[in-house]
Amino acid sequence: MFKSRRFQYNIPLFIMFAPIIAYFLIFKFAPMGGLVIAFKNYNFTDGIWGSSWVGLDHFRTLFTNPNMLNILRNTLVLSFLQLVLGFPFPILLALMINEIRRSWFKKTVQTAVFFPHFLNWVIVGGIVITIFAQETGIINNIMRWLTGDSYPFLYNTGSWLAIFIGSGIWKSAGWGAIIYLAALAGVDQSLYEAAGLDGANRLRQIWHISLPSIRPVIFIILILSIGSIMEVGFDQVYMLQNSAVSQIADVISTWNYRVGITGGRFSLAAALGFFESIIGLILVLTANSIARRFNNGLW
Amino acid sequence: MMMRESLGDKTFGVVNNILLILFSLSCLLPMVHLIALSFSSQSAIVSGQVGLWPVGSTMQAYEKLFENSRILTAFKNSVIITIVGVALNLLFTILCSFPLSRSYMYGRRFFTLAIVFTMLFSGGLIPGYLLVKSLGLVNTYGAIWLPGLVSVYNMLVMRTFFMGIPEELVESARMDGGGEWTVLFRIFLPLSLPVIAALGLFYGVGHWNAFFNMLIFIHSPDKHNLAVMVQQMIMSQSIMQEIGNLSPEDFKTITPESIKSAGIIVMVVPMLLVYPFLQKYFIKGMLIGAVKG
Repeated sequence: MFKSRRFQYNIPLFIMFAPIIAYFLIFKFAPMGGLVIAFKNYNFTDGIWGSSWVGLDHFRTLFTNPNMLNILRNTLVLSFLQLVLGFPFPILLALMINEIRRSWFKKTVQTAVFFPHFLNWVIVGGIVITIFAQETGIINNIMRWLTGDSYPFLYNTGSWLAIFIGSGIWKSAGWGAIIYLAALAGVDQSLYEAAGLDGANRLRQIWHISLPSIRPVIFIILILSIGSIMEVGFDQVYMLQNSAVSQIADVISTWNYRVGITGGRFSLAAALGFFESIIGLILVLTANSIARRFNNGLW
Repeated sequence: MMMRESLGDKTFGVVNNILLILFSLSCLLPMVHLIALSFSSQSAIVSGQVGLWPVGSTMQAYEKLFENSRILTAFKNSVIITIVGVALNLLFTILCSFPLSRSYMYGRRFFTLAIVFTMLFSGGLIPGYLLVKSLGLVNTYGAIWLPGLVSVYNMLVMRTFFMGIPEELVESARMDGGGEWTVLFRIFLPLSLPVIAALGLFYGVGHWNAFFNMLIFIHSPDKHNLAVMVQQMIMSQSIMQEIGNLSPEDFKTITPESIKSAGIIVMVVPMLLVYPFLQKYFIKGMLIGAVKG
């Protein structure tokens, strides 16, 4: 066996692959094992293995804390709104871009709408704060000119929520559309011609040809988004939040940062992280098995 | 296209184009507004005259920013983080995806599944943080580069591309006595330059924009990158005092808004410069990834 061709080929392959195995073991799998601190009282002197076991105490502390219920609710509300309002946008955008007939115009639109994806939340947050500022922001300048009054957009929960969701859509809709555009580019053009001859107008063609042909991709993206419903990105909240809206803006990721990293209560924060990861995993698996019934599963 | 369009289809086309123009403008105009602010005088900003064009144009905000702050150091740090980071990412992504693309690799299915599993489940923030801490990487760029060395998604894109390279090419290299390393370096890599460019771009944007890991791992201000520095500027209530060395004259010519906008622009300009050239590569990269999902 050691003389076999396959074995000979595998020696250099595993020399290449050895650093990769080491990387995944150290940086991906070891932290999964590190989750045991969620069931321990972690402190620096005793380390992960030396710290004492406390069972489910941290989870009990978490879920009997009224503040925590508030944080879970905020996370679910923000993320649910992001999913429901944000999910259709890239699809709509891709269908619309796909209807453009002139290729220079199509390219220009794509260049413009992909751009915000390349800005991080520091930049997008900075833009939002500048534009919506009450004293000097351009939106309030225009409003003062029109109505003589200004409005504290960022300090009112309703308008803050709209800005939070809207800025997320603004940043990611164009980029999210790429994958649908790729699927639409593969649709057989003769289908549209045939439909046109049969008298179907462009809206009908979109409904009966474009949309069904990207359905598998829609399912894949939906499954992946459902898996991350417990996640509301840290950067976005961190940049946009202020004391006036903390009642609805404090989410798992910001709590984890504040209590775990800056507050040093590692075990408690790890327990919440563990809970979040498990729910995420269960959601992905469930969504996938449902999608599989309709032959649109991810695996 | 030779068919005459009905009135309804024509209207549809026009409305569609107008909506797309509006959305495109909404993606670009905020940036134009910030550029205008950064070049405008204090009186124009305070009286709310600045729209999409600078009013009372002045370079003061940039001059003060570069004279009195750490922005040059932060810029240099961002460049170092991005260049070294991308090089490491690409090297390890290639070393991971090449073996996994070979059908004769032992345990290929097992390794692929194990790696994909890390996409679905992770230790999360705290264990990752404690790991970096126990490796002594806190306050070094190792904490930025190492934990995200291989993006599983990017790795799968490259693996899919490698699997599409014809087997005959591999056979012919074998005939000439070449081993796996020769196959990788002489055949696969030259053929994969567009994918490498696309993935390099994705990794590069990620490193240029790195924020959260910088926030939790890098504590010395002189090691901060632009993202952290600009964030502190934006959040600062007293940016004018912090920037230091301002004469009473300066308070008449520059405002917190113009300074903050200037900081944002400094961070965005390098991205704007490479963006048009790299656009074709990232679309290509996304398309390759989309083939197999």
